[in-house]
Amino acid sequence: MIWVNVLIQGILIGGFYALFACGLSLMFGVMKVINLAHGDIAVVAGYVAVFLAPQLHIPEVWSFIIVVPIFAVAGYLIQRTLIQKSIDRDPFTTLLVTFGFSVVIENLLLEIYTANGQSVNIGALIGDSIHVSNVIYISYISLAVLVTAVVVLAALQLFLSKSGTGRLIRAVADDREAAQLSGANYRHIFGIAAAIAFATVALAGIAYGMMTEFAPTSGGVNLLFAFESVVIGGIGSLWGTLIGGVLLGIAQQVGAHINPEYQVLAGNLLFLVILGVRPHGLFGKKTAFS
Amino acid sequence: MPLLQLEGVSKKFGQVVVAEEITFQLDQGAAVGIVGPNGAGKTSLFGMISGDIRQDSGRILFEDQSVGSMTAAVRCRMGMGRTYQVPHPFERMTVFENALLAAQQGAQAHGQKSYDLAFAALERTGLAELANRPAGSLGLLHRKRLEMARALATGPKLLLLDEIAGGLTDPEVNELIVIIRGLRDDGIAVLWIEHVVRALLSTVDRLLCLASGRLVADGPPSEVLASEEVRKVYLGGKIINEAAI
Repeated sequence: MIWVNVLIQGILIGGFYALFACGLSLMFGVMKVINLAHGDIAVVAGYVAVFLAPQLHIPEVWSFIIVVPIFAVAGYLIQRTLIQKSIDRDPFTTLLVTFGFSVVIENLLLEIYTANGQSVNIGALIGDSIHVSNVIYISYISLAVLVTAVVVLAALQLFLSKSGTGRLIRAVADDREAAQLSGANYRHIFGIAAAIAFATVALAGIAYGMMTEFAPTSGGVNLLFAFESVVIGGIGSLWGTLIGGVLLGIAQQVGAHINPEYQVLAGNLLFLVILGVRPHGLFGKKTAFS
Repeated sequence: MPLLQLEGVSKKFGQVVVAEEITFQLDQGAAVGIVGPNGAGKTSLFGMISGDIRQDSGRILFEDQSVGSMTAAVRCRMGMGRTYQVPHPFERMTVFENALLAAQQGAQAHGQKSYDLAFAALERTGLAELANRPAGSLGLLHRKRLEMARALATGPKLLLLDEIAGGLTDPEVNELIVIIRGLRDDGIAVLWIEHVVRALLSTVDRLLCLASGRLVADGPPSEVLASEEVRKVYLGGKIINEAAI
């Protein structure tokens, strides 16, 4: 029974990893940008939810309703300016620029909000859980995050495969020059993809703040788990990212059950094995999001 | 009003000159061929016209508007359609989706109109029955047709064809020629790079010859092919299938 609980907790945390990672996967798949500031953007969303939303008389628990659209717009604008400028130079520039962006964000947050831990106040919900048996508890918030992750990934998958804009994103991811010759303004499409990436990671940042505490430097470790989820699942596959996140979560929970110190180690070992055995990931494809 | 004008267009990649003071114009509905040895700068010239690469100096005008600062997407919407030498279909999409994307973006058509436009382009290029096949499953002839279909679906006034007949068998080339002639007869201007001179001669009424980035000949096809200059740039190499069909 205790192992069932380990499995359940792994799946729950895996949903969060997938939610966190899908934007990273999208940015890389569509514009070949590895956004090293991805984790920090999530943290910023957490701070906005905790400090700015209450000023607008919005309860923290509902803050995502305004934070997510704000981050979508910000994502579009940052892509069309900062990130597009670096793409126009060369791929290494995008790494340097997003790394620099990450450093700036962390230090600004430290300066403004100090290194104290914060969390998104969700009232009594934080402690509530479904009591399945003596050793199995499913916390409402973790379940809500998993459901959100599945809904977001399903919606994104549907959007990419069925809508006209989704078709454009797939076309640009496949061959941006050819897309241009069909009259598609690929920069605008990149902007839309970045808007989706920022919106999803903002949601993930708020979810993180609801589940646990965050500080200005929380971005880095979550970025690492997001990378691992994407690579395990295979780049360019959203469902792969979900499976990757879940497998990572389970590996970590199994490790933690053996010895709490092994939590991160077990996840990293799984990642290493996948890299060695199947470097393109479990569901990796040649062309992204098709 | 000429459809396309190039005025002293020059371009270098490092020390390699791909275009040197190229000047010519193309009338509405004209069909013009471009020949020249490998490395003459033919594809780079298309790149500059369509907006993939930017010229170092000189002007390119489309319908009397300077297009130098416009992106390839804007030029496409103005009425330039281009096909690649090596076809670049969106492989995971269906043939129809490939054409639909071009109709919605290039021709800015929406709803039913974009579907009609995409389907008309597929019918025109003989791909209608393959509309629901993934583009990645097509063979070379059909990929070349799809390149044309995509360019057509953008509603072009000018079609830039880059070695569309290359790598095809004679009967396949003949099928393409029929399609291209039909487009020319509908008033779409065609600028066509081709090594298979026979295919060009059957369709164009003017020939340009490029060598080392320079325009060495411009005139009626028979005169251009007979000129000493053109013979020289091919280094005595025989031009493939010279006789017209």
